[in-house]
Amino acid sequence: MTMLEIKNLHVEVAGQKILKGLNLTINPGEVHAIMGPNGAGKSTLAYAICGKEGYEITEGSVTFKGKNFLELTANERAGEGVFLGFQYPVEIPGVSNMNFLKAAINSLRKYRGEDDMAAVDFLKLIRAKAEELEMKPEMLKRAVNVGFSGGEKKRNEMVQMAMLEPIFSVLDETDSGLDIDALRIVADGINRMRSPEKSILVITHYQRLLDYVVPDFVHVLANGKIVKTGDKSLALELEKNGYAGLGIDENAA
Amino acid sequence: MTEKNHFDGRNYANYFNAHRHILPNAELAWLNDVRAKAISSFIEVGLPGPKVEEWKYTNLNLLKTTIYETSEKIATENTDIIQKYALEGVLGSKVVFVDGYFNSELSDVQKQQGVVLTSLNEFISANPEHAEQVFQESKNQDSLGELNTALMTGGFVLIIDENIKLAEPIQIFHIASEKSQAKSLRLKNFINIKSTSSAQIIEYFISPDNIDCWRQNVTEVIVGEKAKLEIYQFQQEGNETIHMNQTLADVKESGNFKHYSLNIGGKISRTEIKPTINGLYGNVDLRGAFLGRNGNSHDVFTHMKHMKPEGDSNQSYRGVLDKGGKSAFQGKVYVAKDAQLTNANQSNKNLLLDRGAEANSKPELLIYADDVKCSHGTTVGELDNEAIFYLKSRGLDQKAAKALLVEAFVAEVFEDIKLQSVKSRYLELAGSWLESGD
Repeated sequence: MTMLEIKNLHVEVAGQKILKGLNLTINPGEVHAIMGPNGAGKSTLAYAICGKEGYEITEGSVTFKGKNFLELTANERAGEGVFLGFQYPVEIPGVSNMNFLKAAINSLRKYRGEDDMAAVDFLKLIRAKAEELEMKPEMLKRAVNVGFSGGEKKRNEMVQMAMLEPIFSVLDETDSGLDIDALRIVADGINRMRSPEKSILVITHYQRLLDYVVPDFVHVLANGKIVKTGDKSLALELEKNGYAGLGIDENAA
Repeated sequence: MTEKNHFDGRNYANYFNAHRHILPNAELAWLNDVRAKAISSFIEVGLPGPKVEEWKYTNLNLLKTTIYETSEKIATENTDIIQKYALEGVLGSKVVFVDGYFNSELSDVQKQQGVVLTSLNEFISANPEHAEQVFQESKNQDSLGELNTALMTGGFVLIIDENIKLAEPIQIFHIASEKSQAKSLRLKNFINIKSTSSAQIIEYFISPDNIDCWRQNVTEVIVGEKAKLEIYQFQQEGNETIHMNQTLADVKESGNFKHYSLNIGGKISRTEIKPTINGLYGNVDLRGAFLGRNGNSHDVFTHMKHMKPEGDSNQSYRGVLDKGGKSAFQGKVYVAKDAQLTNANQSNKNLLLDRGAEANSKPELLIYADDVKCSHGTTVGELDNEAIFYLKSRGLDQKAAKALLVEAFVAEVFEDIKLQSVKSRYLELAGSWLESGD
């Protein structure tokens, strides 16, 4: 079955038309990359898939594993197995990473009709995942993202993704603002999620992440639509010739 | 006396005169005297009205016409309620009051050399001279406190001799039964922790929903030199209770006084804390949270007095208000001319979950010394929608996401508590508060 099918998607934010008839189909096991100039609607696409309030779908459909996704709230979509890696992860003072993840895991389990995870199993799991992604154990006790550097925040997103085990991950500019070491960790986190049953949508402004996470498909999003689709070579072409090479005016997107 | 600003309290005087003979220990002339003096001081002033600055956010109109008669002693209630509220693993004495009277069957008062822990009425009958002295040294300051003294039905007394550290916290249960409808429950408590001694007290204020009763609880505290007292209060009364809780503390040299509170119930809750640092290096820490909705009115009133140099005080309060909830934080800091090198901080942050909620915050600093560090800060804000979406994207539903953020907002004032069971109870109550509203 298709993982995600988006047809003729139109999205408005505060009365402004951002997506104008976007089509995208993602099958299990595939990694897709969406590239595009600033303001093309990349983040809007991520939020529309994940159900953020204020992103009004005026036309079109989003179907996830055969279900009409537009009828579900953001947390129900997470329950169905979707994960959003944020471009700007939110700081939550007063909530420790540990408690946050425990609440998240148990909410997902509840949605799926499962019991809470035993405290011991949870601790084992979180320690293992933190170690795999080279996160210091003391970071787990700190408040979610509070005082974290840009790289630490993105690494934290990867730990969350690893813990929540989504079947479909949307990564919104997870690579932005990272130095090369942090980029490697993030890429490693994404690659660990690759499997024949799981799909990933990587949204990025630059090609460099795609050196580490090699996509099956690359799409170019401009002016609210996908204007070109190709394989990984399309990303390299963009890197070389810029969006202007495709006839896209980067400033007027 | 400012008649315009106060309600007439004479109907309470009439009530007092008709009932004084049935109040506990009524046969003691000196106590009768204490009560009579208190009632005349009360009548002279009356009940505070909305024009009284200290009461401008709490409307006591309903006390004007209704007379809440003095509660009566009832037979022992079932013990389930104690088990329900008592904290696990806290092994110290349990002192239980039901409808304003000490209940010896439900209580478990452990004897310890050098420690007096007893009900006020027993203390008075066993040590009348000592008790008389305690009342003479009382620092009552306001008309409601006088009314409480005139009509008190009991209370507790804790006196700890020099150099004793209580190993386990004392738990005090203030329970109102269904029979407290239209009654007043008035307790007067005395705590005296002498030099280098220490104690921890956990207090629960509990009443059933839909029972309209008026609770007054006045505690006078002395924290001796290098002594330490921590008070942890949980106010979770029913929706019709009027809760007035006043703590007056006299902190001696290098004394350390901590007061924590959580208010989540009642139609009116008023928490007044008035500590005075009367010796060098005194240290006072006041922290708490109040969560209100649908007719809850929470009022925290502090009056922190620095009389001697090099004292530290901190006040930190968080308010969470949902639709129909109202709160006021009035925090006064007074630094006397002599109290140089005082360090006094105050902060009150409020979270409004609905546009139909109200939070008032009024810091008041009176500083007469010229070499001090005093700060105050107040904020009123709303939940961050980005944070809610972040949590929802991880699977938490709207309500759970809000509840987690509410708990986090409140958590900061409780995070330094070393008694784990107390800290967890505070966080649990704050975290489940949203859900308990349905």
